[in-house]
Amino acid sequence: MTTLLGWLAGLGLAAGLAMGFGVAPREVTQGNVQRIMYVHVPAVWVAYLAFTVGLVASIAYLARRRPGVDRLAHAACEVGTVFLGVNIVTGAIWGKPTWGTWWTWDARLTSVAVVFVMFLAYLLLRGAIEDRERGARYAAVLGIVAALNIPLVHFSVYWWRTLHQPPSLLKPGASTIPPVILTALLVNFVALALLGAYFVARRARVLAAEEEALA
Amino acid sequence: MMPDHWGFVAAAYAVTAIILGGYWRMLVRKERELATLGTGTRVRTEAGVGTDPTSRTRQPSETGHPRPEPGSRPPLP
Repeated sequence: MTTLLGWLAGLGLAAGLAMGFGVAPREVTQGNVQRIMYVHVPAVWVAYLAFTVGLVASIAYLARRRPGVDRLAHAACEVGTVFLGVNIVTGAIWGKPTWGTWWTWDARLTSVAVVFVMFLAYLLLRGAIEDRERGARYAAVLGIVAALNIPLVHFSVYWWRTLHQPPSLLKPGASTIPPVILTALLVNFVALALLGAYFVARRARVLAAEEEALA
Repeated sequence: MMPDHWGFVAAAYAVTAIILGGYWRMLVRKERELATLGTGTRVRTEAGVGTDPTSRTRQPSETGHPRPEPGSRPPLP
């Protein structure tokens, strides 16, 4: 199953690159630098998805205390942090030619940075506590608190005056994106989501093997 | 209209490939290390080493010399 996910992710990434560079046209206002959006936007969606899986698994772990659920939460939050890192770095690279700066402390960027640091703390906490059960319990609480900040990130562009534009897709009403660009975004999202699922499955397997080796 | 900035596009995709590829390599390396650790444990267990300390003391030394009986050993100073 994991191998199949890996192959599907590989095919998806190839299709995503073909869509982003071969099919989608040069954007009228931003030019070719807009092609960075085919990584930047799907990466944050995959991060949101992974953190949501982490949130649900953390709640389930606190309720049932099953080690398998804890491993899923750990793997999902780690993979979510990796994809959020991709989102932040590609956003900075896009920001330099478009906004004239790599980084600005506006509401969207600051709230994303806060969530990123919270999940880094989550991963550090996992490694810092020797008692696995206690570490899993504390990490589950931190994972829930960190994931609850995601709506704050999403709505920050509505609640405060920001340089970052409002969402183009995850908003009420019809999309204003041209269909070909929307298709390229969605293909890349599916590809990165498959890759994220593959990473989570593989990371959970490694965690299980590590626990077995330590037992 | 903005100029094309292909360098920024290439940099963004390259950094993405480095981050995701690096994470994938880390997973592969960890899996390999754990597999080696598991094989090592199995080999030691099949040889009877590391499982029962009393049986280990009764084995002949690797050079083929028999171990001396405890009573024949000189007392410690």
